[in-house]
Amino acid sequence: MSVQVGQAPLQAPERSKELTRLLRRLHTNNTIATLILWLLTAIVVLVFIGIIVLLLLQGLTYLFNPAFYSTDPAHIDASIAPELFNSFYILILAEIFLFPIALAAAIYLVEYSRQGPLVTAIHFAAETLAGVPSIVLGLFGVVVFVSDAHFGISRLAGALTLLCLNFPIGLRLFEDALASVPRDLREGGLALGASKWRVIRTVVLPSALPGIITGLILTAGKIIGEAAALLFTMGTTNPRNVFSLNPFIASDTLTIHLWYVKTQGAGTLGLSAAQASAISAGSATLLIVILLLINLAARGIGRLIQRRITSA
Amino acid sequence: MSTVQQRRLADQTARSIFLVCAVLLIVVIVSVFFFLGSNAFRLFFERGGTSIQHFFTSTNWDPTGNNDPNSNPQFGAGGLIIGSVVITLFSVAIAIPFGWGMALFLTELTPKWLANILQPLLEIFTGMPSVVVGFLGLTVLVPFLQKAVAPLTGNNPSAGYGWGAAIIVLVVMILPTIISISVDALRAVPGSVREASLALGSTRWQMMSRAIIPAAAPGLATAVVLAMARAIGETFAVSLVLFGSSLPNKLFTPLVFFQPNINITQFIASDFGETAGVSRDGYWTLAFILLVISFLFICVSRYLASRSVYK
Repeated sequence: MSVQVGQAPLQAPERSKELTRLLRRLHTNNTIATLILWLLTAIVVLVFIGIIVLLLLQGLTYLFNPAFYSTDPAHIDASIAPELFNSFYILILAEIFLFPIALAAAIYLVEYSRQGPLVTAIHFAAETLAGVPSIVLGLFGVVVFVSDAHFGISRLAGALTLLCLNFPIGLRLFEDALASVPRDLREGGLALGASKWRVIRTVVLPSALPGIITGLILTAGKIIGEAAALLFTMGTTNPRNVFSLNPFIASDTLTIHLWYVKTQGAGTLGLSAAQASAISAGSATLLIVILLLINLAARGIGRLIQRRITSA
Repeated sequence: MSTVQQRRLADQTARSIFLVCAVLLIVVIVSVFFFLGSNAFRLFFERGGTSIQHFFTSTNWDPTGNNDPNSNPQFGAGGLIIGSVVITLFSVAIAIPFGWGMALFLTELTPKWLANILQPLLEIFTGMPSVVVGFLGLTVLVPFLQKAVAPLTGNNPSAGYGWGAAIIVLVVMILPTIISISVDALRAVPGSVREASLALGSTRWQMMSRAIIPAAAPGLATAVVLAMARAIGETFAVSLVLFGSSLPNKLFTPLVFFQPNINITQFIASDFGETAGVSRDGYWTLAFILLVISFLFICVSRYLASRSVYK
């Protein structure tokens, strides 16, 4: 942008030539930068799409094989029915802890708290906890839930560890949902003489419902995909009575089974190499399909409820 | 009168329940530090343990003593720490241009229809299970790298595993973090800054490089710091493609990236379950190191966030 300051003024034709050159340089830079940004984005997008396509291609054929979901004890090793059951079992058990606690904490922070040291401390705690690697939280779960609380390696210990892991994420999602409710609604309720708790129950929570459900679904996605925190708290193998609702038995999930099959080798699990690759590729594809569905649901349900509430 | 009292009681009860749940968060993080910290230092003070200096400088990690004729356990975590640091730094260095570039593209250049496609794609990858990425790295990336470096390694069957594959897998895992936090930082810059810059006659690129990027700089840096926190703790994606049991002999050749190698999380994931007693104490120390590192990253990111003008 150096346009001759402090020099003798140029003659008109030279000056215009100078300016044209400057303009051309700026526009070339602009074009190059734009092209680079397009290129970087294109590479990232191609890699991301490539990963999804590769995952689907690797295992889609297994997903349509009924034996892949067999609950027959004779073929249970080559099926992922127990893992699928466990994944959804732990999802529901963890959400039973996570949903009310995270929502209650979010209600406190959004509706009751005033700016102060306590709120700062809670937000700092949430950020710190969100940054703790999940394998480290897994070891924390081993100390507290598995050993000190005597739950042993069990679904309950796994669910409580998942509560610690997803608490900050859930809190943030629910806080956003509650904060999106306009102030006037609350003030209207309070002006009519309703108590604070009544306003929250009858005005704030219903209006924030789409956001709350979206948050619930997004944390569900996190729980389904989580593995490292569950490795030492919930175990890697299944007992015989895997299809029971007992929270005190050890069991694995889709993610852990996938990792276990890939690292321990097929032989130690009594699987043929073909079966092992079928299980790992099939579970990877199944996980990605579940995740895609969860994302679709999070978008769709939020919008659907929004429409129903605003039209009613 | 009694209904009023009842209502007030309900109000108070609800408030205290919510307060307890919110404070629970502080209880959790404090107990994470307390329980892991109280286990972490035992290694340095007990019989069969090790000294702090040996822990950080030696590269011989053998807590069960399996590789030693006298089965003396060895707790030299130097190699593990080097592994974690190297793959974190390299993956973040590779991910930064892509992450910032795509974030700039998404906020400043993208047409509306394209944004509607890219946003969901990004959200899917933010929640991508690390074990799935690791699986793909193991089945697709490692054989590819193996073929690519075959002329250099002489068809070594274990070539392809190692830091190189781990770095690429990590880039995929942290890119969504960098992109989405950077996008938030860039979107927080008000439109008036853009308009002012354009009104002065800047080209789009001048507007981005001279006005938007400096204004969003602390947010962009936060994205990198949080990505590092995520990268250093990433477990399953990395452990599947590292495949090593010790640091390679020759560290300072380019080929080191294509040999089976090690890092902290891989060892915790694969070996912690089979240990007890003194040898388990070594893993508590490793976990505590990860905890402290990620805590430092969070502190840095908070400091950066406190310096940003637009939030």
